[in-house]
Formats: sequence, C-alpha cells, structure tokens
Amino acid sequence: MTTTATWDAIVLGGGHNALVCATYLARSGLSTLVVEQRPSVGGALATAEIVPGARIPVYAHTVGRLRGSIARELGLAADGLRLVQPAARVTSLRTDGPAITLWGDTTRTASELAIVSRADGAAWPAFDAEVRTLSGVLSRLMTITPPDPSGAAPGDVLSALRLGMHLRGLDEAHGRALLRVLPQSVADFLEDRFETDALRAMLAVRGIRYSSMGPHSAGTTQVLLADSAGNDGGAAGETVYARGGPGALASALASAARRAGAEIRTGSQVVAVRSAGGRATGIALASGEELTAAVVVSGLDPRQTLLDLVDPEVLGPRLGWQAGNLRQSGVTAKVSLALSELPRFSGLTGDDAAVRLRGRLLVAPSVRYLDVAHDAAKYGRMSDQPWLEATIPSLTDPLLVDGAAASGVRHVMSVLVQSAPRQLRDDSWDTARDTLLARTMAVLESVAPGIGALVVARQMHTPADMERDLGMTGGHPLHGEPSLDQWFAWRPMLGYARYRMPLEGLYLCGSGAHPGGGVTGVPGRNAAREVIADRKRS
Amino acid sequence: MPQRYDAVIIGGGHNGLVSAAYLARGGLKTLVLERRHVLGGAAVTEEVFPGFRFSVASYVVSLLRPEIIRDLQLPRHGLRILPLDGTFTPLDDDYLWRTDDHAQTMREIRRWSAQDAEAYSEYGLLMVEMARFIKPILGITPVDPRRPDPRDAMPLGSLLRDFSKLPRRQQTAFVQLMTMSAADFLDQWFETAPLKATMSASGIIGTYQGVRSPGTAYVLLHHYMGEIDGAFRAWVIPRGGTGGVSEAIASSARSFGAEIRTEAPVDHITIRDGRATGVVLESGEEISAAAVLASTDAKVTFLDLIESGTLEPDFEASIRQFRFRGSSGKVNLALDGLPDFTIMPGPGEHLRGAISFSPSLDYMEQAYDDAKGGRFSQRPYVDMVIPTLVDPRMAPPGKHIVSCFVQYAPYKLAEGTWDDQREAFGDAVVDTLAERAPNIRSLILHRQVLTPLDIERTMGLTEGNIFQGELSLEQLFVNRPAPGWARFRTPINDLWLCGSSAHPGGGIMGAPGRIAALELLRQKGGEAA
Repeated sequence: MTTTATWDAIVLGGGHNALVCATYLARSGLSTLVVEQRPSVGGALATAEIVPGARIPVYAHTVGRLRGSIARELGLAADGLRLVQPAARVTSLRTDGPAITLWGDTTRTASELAIVSRADGAAWPAFDAEVRTLSGVLSRLMTITPPDPSGAAPGDVLSALRLGMHLRGLDEAHGRALLRVLPQSVADFLEDRFETDALRAMLAVRGIRYSSMGPHSAGTTQVLLADSAGNDGGAAGETVYARGGPGALASALASAARRAGAEIRTGSQVVAVRSAGGRATGIALASGEELTAAVVVSGLDPRQTLLDLVDPEVLGPRLGWQAGNLRQSGVTAKVSLALSELPRFSGLTGDDAAVRLRGRLLVAPSVRYLDVAHDAAKYGRMSDQPWLEATIPSLTDPLLVDGAAASGVRHVMSVLVQSAPRQLRDDSWDTARDTLLARTMAVLESVAPGIGALVVARQMHTPADMERDLGMTGGHPLHGEPSLDQWFAWRPMLGYARYRMPLEGLYLCGSGAHPGGGVTGVPGRNAAREVIADRKRS
Repeated sequence: MPQRYDAVIIGGGHNGLVSAAYLARGGLKTLVLERRHVLGGAAVTEEVFPGFRFSVASYVVSLLRPEIIRDLQLPRHGLRILPLDGTFTPLDDDYLWRTDDHAQTMREIRRWSAQDAEAYSEYGLLMVEMARFIKPILGITPVDPRRPDPRDAMPLGSLLRDFSKLPRRQQTAFVQLMTMSAADFLDQWFETAPLKATMSASGIIGTYQGVRSPGTAYVLLHHYMGEIDGAFRAWVIPRGGTGGVSEAIASSARSFGAEIRTEAPVDHITIRDGRATGVVLESGEEISAAAVLASTDAKVTFLDLIESGTLEPDFEASIRQFRFRGSSGKVNLALDGLPDFTIMPGPGEHLRGAISFSPSLDYMEQAYDDAKGGRFSQRPYVDMVIPTLVDPRMAPPGKHIVSCFVQYAPYKLAEGTWDDQREAFGDAVVDTLAERAPNIRSLILHRQVLTPLDIERTMGLTEGNIFQGELSLEQLFVNRPAPGWARFRTPINDLWLCGSSAHPGGGIMGAPGRIAALELLRQKGGEAA
C-alpha cells in the first residue's frame, strides 16, 4: 500500500455536479482532486461517434437547465462553450392530427394553440406567467441549503428565514396556488388549466421524465415546475443544445476545474471511503492506492456512496436500512440513431417542418398514453408503447455530422424511451434490449413512416447499461426519484439534506442531494458552499 | 312570520348532528334540517329488505373522536360498541388471519415470514406513535398561512416542537407517511404479499388512488387515528348499525334542546349583503338564522345551495377544482346462511372480523388500473363484514347480512352509465367472493348494489365520494376545501362548513362538526365579550 500526498478535498466522480463542486472548492484555495472511473469526465454528459464522422449525445441531449449564474461564475464561455436555443421548444408528433409546437415566443404559441382550442390559446400566456412565477420560487429554494426540521442545526434558523422570505415574495393568489399545486399530480394540475388532452400530455412529460411516477402521481407538478426553475424554460420548457454535443459542456466544466487548480484523475475507480473515529480520512482506489484527504465529497449517488463505499460498521444498521430503501430504480432507456436523411413526419408537412423539428420532439399523444406506458413499469414490464422524447441535434449543429458523408449519414437522432424499468420481472435486459428497440422503432414509424429504412446505425442504452457504464445505481439519471418523499429537506434522507453525510467530513454533491437531478450544477455549488463554510469553522 | 334560530344546520349526517349537539349545549337555539326521512347521512341504518337491516353505506366505526363520545354522553344516548375481531385474508391456496390475540397473530405471520413477524410488532408500535403524534391535528383549526393568528399557530408550533423532539426514525417515518405511497411505505417493512396488500388497503379507502400512488400512506395513517376506549386502530360495529351512532348523537342533540326536522330539503341559502341570513326549504318555507352551518359537501354548499354569481370567481374556481371522484361502491347481501370459505371451511372466529379480499399489492394496483381506465375493477378489493355475527338482531333468526365495501368503482365511467352497469358491478363482486367462498351464490336472498351514482343520489355526496372530497395531499389541512379557507368559515359571513369537506376530512369521526361548532361558539363569545 502506498500513501500519497494529502488533499484538502477529494471529489468522487467526474459528473457535471462533481466538476462544478470541485471548481468552487479549488477556487476557495483547497487542494482538490477529482477521481473519475471512466476514461473521460462528464458522466451523463457525453458525445460519442456513432459512425465515423457522426457524433451524437449518448445520454442527456439538452443542457438548458444549467444555471446561467454557474456558467458565468465558472466562465464556461471562455472554455469554448456555445449554447444553441432553437425557436421551437417542443413539438408533439401525432398520428391523429397536426403536430402541436410550443415556441419560445409566448404569443406565437398562443395563436397556434388557438387553432386547436380557442380556450387553451387564450389561457397560454397566463399559464406561462404562472409557471414562471411558481418556478421562480422553486428556483430560489434550489439555491439554499434546506433547513433541518429534524433538529435545530446551526444555519437552519437562517435558511428557514430565507425560506419565509421567498414565500412572502409571492402575492396572495400565487402563494395559495403554490400550496395547492406542489403536491398535486401533473395530470390534475393541467386538467384544471387546459382542455386539449394532447397539450396536457406534452406538458405532463416534464413531470414524469426519468421518474417511475405516472401523470396521476401526487407531486409530479413540483417536478414539472422544477424543470423550469432557474432557466428560461417557462411553460414550454427549456430546449438548449451545447454546440458539439453535451460532451462539450463536460469538457468546458473540466477545463474550468483545472483552471481553478483542481486535479482530475480519470480511469481511477474508488472502492472505499476510509474513516477513523467517525471521520472520513480519504479513499481507496481499485488500484490499491490510498489517498488521504481532509474532506471527501461524493458526486456519486447516495446509495452507492453510503452502501458501497462507507464501512457498514461505521454507517450502522439503521442508516444502512434507510439508504437501502432509497427509491432509485431507473425507467428510462436511450436510443441513438444515425439517419441517411431527415425523416418525414406525418402531421408535420408544412414548409416550416424543419424549424419545428429543431426543438424536442414528443411521441406522447395523450395523458392516458403516458399513464398506460407508466403502468407497465409498476409490474416490472417495459411499455408496449413507450412514450418518447427525441431530438435531432444535427439540425441545429450540422458539424455533428460534418465528416459523415462517406458513411451516408446526414442526421443523428437521440431518443429517450420510457418506461423501461431497470428491474424486469420476467426478463433480463440482455435479451429484452432488442424488444425495446423494436417497440421504440414501431412507435417512431407511427409518426414518421419509413424512418426505419433511413437508419444507418443505431445504439441502445438500457437502464442496466447506464448503471454499469455510468455507475448510477438503478441506472437512475436523477440519482433517486424526484418524488415528495425524497425532496428538499429530506433529499436524500431526513437529517442529511444539508450535504453532510452521516460520516463527518463526507459530503454529497450530486443529483441525489437537494435540489436533485437535471443538468443544473446547483447541488455541486451548494455542496461546495457548505464544505467551505465548515472548513472556515474548523 | 318566519321562525328565527341562532343556528340552522343543513344536513343531518353525523357531522351536522355533532355540530347541533355542541351548539345547543352552548346555549344556541339550533335547528337541523335533513332532506331524507332518516337521519345519519352516510352513517345510516335502513331496513332495505323485510327483516334485514343494513348499515347501508358506512359500516364500521373507528375514527369517532373520544372527546365527542364523552362531551355528548353518547353511551347514555344508546351508543353500544360491538368489537370486530381481526382480519381474515383468504387466498386460493392459503390465508392470512390476524386477530386481536397478539401471540396468535405473531405465530400466523411467522408462518409466512419470520422477518415480517419481527417487523410487525415494531411497525405497530411505530404507527401508534405516529397516530399519537398527529392526533392533535384532528382537534385544531388549520392556521391561515397568509395571516397567521397566534392562537391557531400555537398548537401547530407545539406540534413542530414535538416533531423536533421525536427520535430520528420516527421523524423519517412521519415524513414518509405524509408523502409516500402505501405500497412503498410497507415495502420497506414487509415481504409477505397478503400482509402488505391487506395493510395497504386502508391507504386507498375512499380515494381515486392506487396503493402505489404517492400520498396514500397518509390515508393509511388517517385510518390509524381511530381510538375506541383508548385503543388505536380498533374497528367496531355500533349496535343497530352505523345509524346507531347517528341516532345517539341526535338524541344527545335533542337533550341539549336542538330541534331536528327530517324530510325538510333545503332549496337555497338566503344571503343579504354578503351575510347568510337563513335558508329557504324546497317547500318554500323560510327559516331565518343568525348562522348557517352546512354539513353538505363543498360543491353542494357553494355551487348548488348558493345563487350563482354570489361568490368571488377565484373562490368559486377553487371549489370547482376541489376533487371528489368517488371510487368506492357498496354491496349489501341478505344471506340464508353463512359463507363457507374453501381454505377454512365451516363457521368460525375468522368470520367475526373483517374479511379482506386483497391477495397482493399487484392485485390491488390492477384493480386501480381498471378504475383509471374508467371501468369498475373486474377483480375488486373487497372488505367484507358479517354484522349479524356480533349483532344478530339485524336479520331474522338464522339469516345473515353481509356488508361489502368495494373498490374500485369510478364515478365517471368510460363507457355506459352506472344505471346500466349496476348489476354487472354487483356480479363482479359476487364472483370475487365466490372464488373464495363458492357457496355464497346459493345463499343470496337479496342483493343491494350501491354505485357512486347511487351514493350521490341517495346521500347527496358529490360524485359519491364518501369523504366529501378526496383525502389527497393538496386537499388536506390548510387546503381543505380551498387554500386559505380551511377554517370552517366561508367567504360568506355567518355561513360555516361543518362536514367532511372541511378539515380534517372524512370517516365517522365527527371532528369537523365539533371544531366548527366550537369555532362558532368561540366567535360568539368574542362578540359577546
């Protein structure tokens, strides 16, 4: 066993939150090391070549939830990050009618919706304003360290006061609305506001994406509003691409971290968090190398952090039981397609089709469709007809397929597929993957007849793949269900929502911590703030 | 010359009667107006078939507040409690039988899983602790989050202080109970399918939610708050059926001087300059009162009994958004003898308690999937009770009555109407029973099927919701029935809510009726002082 130099902070994992956290730590003067098991950092932010010359987002395909303040503070633009925001935010592809597009421009959306439903068109601007107001409150809540209702810890009083201030910022009507809608199901929330089922469905998607909850599950409205919190999403939702693919954001974050003085080690897998006298003292690598540090900050998911890395003796049976019950079973798969040309979509025939196709594309025709797709997962089955969220990033970023002429590829299409539960009851993903791929293609054919013939190459990432490749327990991209029982002051667990884990000197900075998943970078920044505060105290 | 009362109460359900009793006891000239010929609303006993008397709708009692039994001296007014011992869950090839005999129940669960047996006692203790902790909520007026009145904030504050004093694991359990699904909550503790399914059932009673729907763990807890003679989670049958409770409360109310009129349907509430001044009966008779208390649900009260255009649009909108979505039905059977369960033949103690048709969580959830699709469950969850085994006078000698609470029966059907699907629904229930007790078909002398539509028509409960509005997270406490209006008062001065649409919600609990009356008396006192 070799022991090497002591670090002030070791950050576990090289995902976006870990990189954000490491950057803030390094900037505060801490000697900081990032340890990533894969050959490259970025975690779910990855761009890969699907055929020679054609690159495609491997997992996440938009990055619009990244906090503008974080991008600015880290100077990501200086690191070459370019963000692209198409005019069309999202388009619902339908077999039984013309596609519905929600635009960044509220008036344009309203006038288009008015064609489908006069009432819904008229309701849209007010709804957009309502979402922005309510999301605004959540946005502020996201940046604070949650109070600890389980007992007065230092700083709680302060955060509680801030909390009150945020809520008082609301006028009476919105204050009441917030109380009622946060725990509400997204289906009920939207039923109260719109009459067009297809519109409800295309909005409801953001309340259940990556989650094993359905549109009728309580608390999914909070998920929908959080998706628009701290970004320009509004009611239509964010659709922002990183030029060069999500991997470009990963490299920008990495160089920001290095610029701040953090060291990044890839290809090194952590196997244990060492502790002595109830305090974290460092980590052990698969290589057998031991690294000591004043604090260990985990960007890995809470289950893995507590159950796989911390000595069970130290954690104790009760916390072990609690951590073992964290609900973190992924339901989303990813299909990547290289296409010989742009598919034709039924219901999207106008000459502005190409413009509408630049946004997110949904196959989620009705709330009932989403619900049925969700029901299968409850019984450990994949949906017969999964709902899909697709993007064709090559439309806004032609360089992605720049060198692919030889391969006969003109476009790449990234498709999120739900529901595909990590645990299949009567099947394994080794054999089920082809079935899911076939079902996905069948659903795509229903809105884009002939698309199958255009496929030059395709890849499939099941939740099992994501668990293995990204080291996310359950292949859950959010590091745990975004449900009300794993929310705010009790995410990931009551008493541990302030980024400090049961082991002194061990912190959580990933999506398993408040405010949860999505490429926001906020958990990373919040955690860094708390680490630095503790360092100042000691 | 119209008569003048201090308080007139719309609806002679158990909450209306409780309010009446407390107001009369407080010295107010009080009148109760009931639309039907019988009192009790959903807590009513009727001779549906000659010689066979049924608790037509609500059929067991657990939640009735002890302070009400005390204050209103209900035993003196004829309330008799008969124990309902245990829960029997029959399966195809086995059964799960829990009784009040703890040791026996332990042996039974150990037969399924040693680990579950161990967890069971711990779980029971925890739930009692949780019920004790949350119980004060049932007695307080929700604080107005916008302009907190210290008098209301105090009990809430002490609740929060108590919370921070609880052991961490109890705090965690409480947060989970307020947010989780019943299935997820129970999955943490148990592995035995029929045990989890049968326990999860109390999480879905009266809701249009499944055992896997977040929020149902709260309903689970809600049903643990019952206290009879200090014993939490005790389910009992009132002698003479649930109508016996209503009759006792009515008798108590009368003894305090309250006047009660049946077959006196209210047409509308009279309102002058934003004040409720009385009611007008369908007969045209005018009754004026200083205060009007509506035990009818929020929709009936604000949208049917008040002239439209009277209410603020915002408030009216939020009442329209208050969700009812009745999901349960009731099948009452008159039997020529006792059902014979294949897995445990013959008569016996297992028939004296609740008989739960809930083999697994999947079974429960599939029943809900049917409902979400706008169909009644092909294989529903059924909670079956045979009251005649503890209260023989409900049927002729040798005969029996069987009460079946059934979920799911969604008020809104995807196809057809309840009038043409009523009997098909009844058949689905009998088929479900016959799978476990085949002889039951041949025993049936009469059958009464109550769909949500029937419950709405007969009891006046909107969409047949037995709780006067779903017990979903967004419709509890400060949001019940509308955000900012959870304090029994309404936007109309002198018009009060005293039914289950108000905090803390449904069940034969009487809490809304009691707190509303006490609030009104407190206000009067304040005015007098």
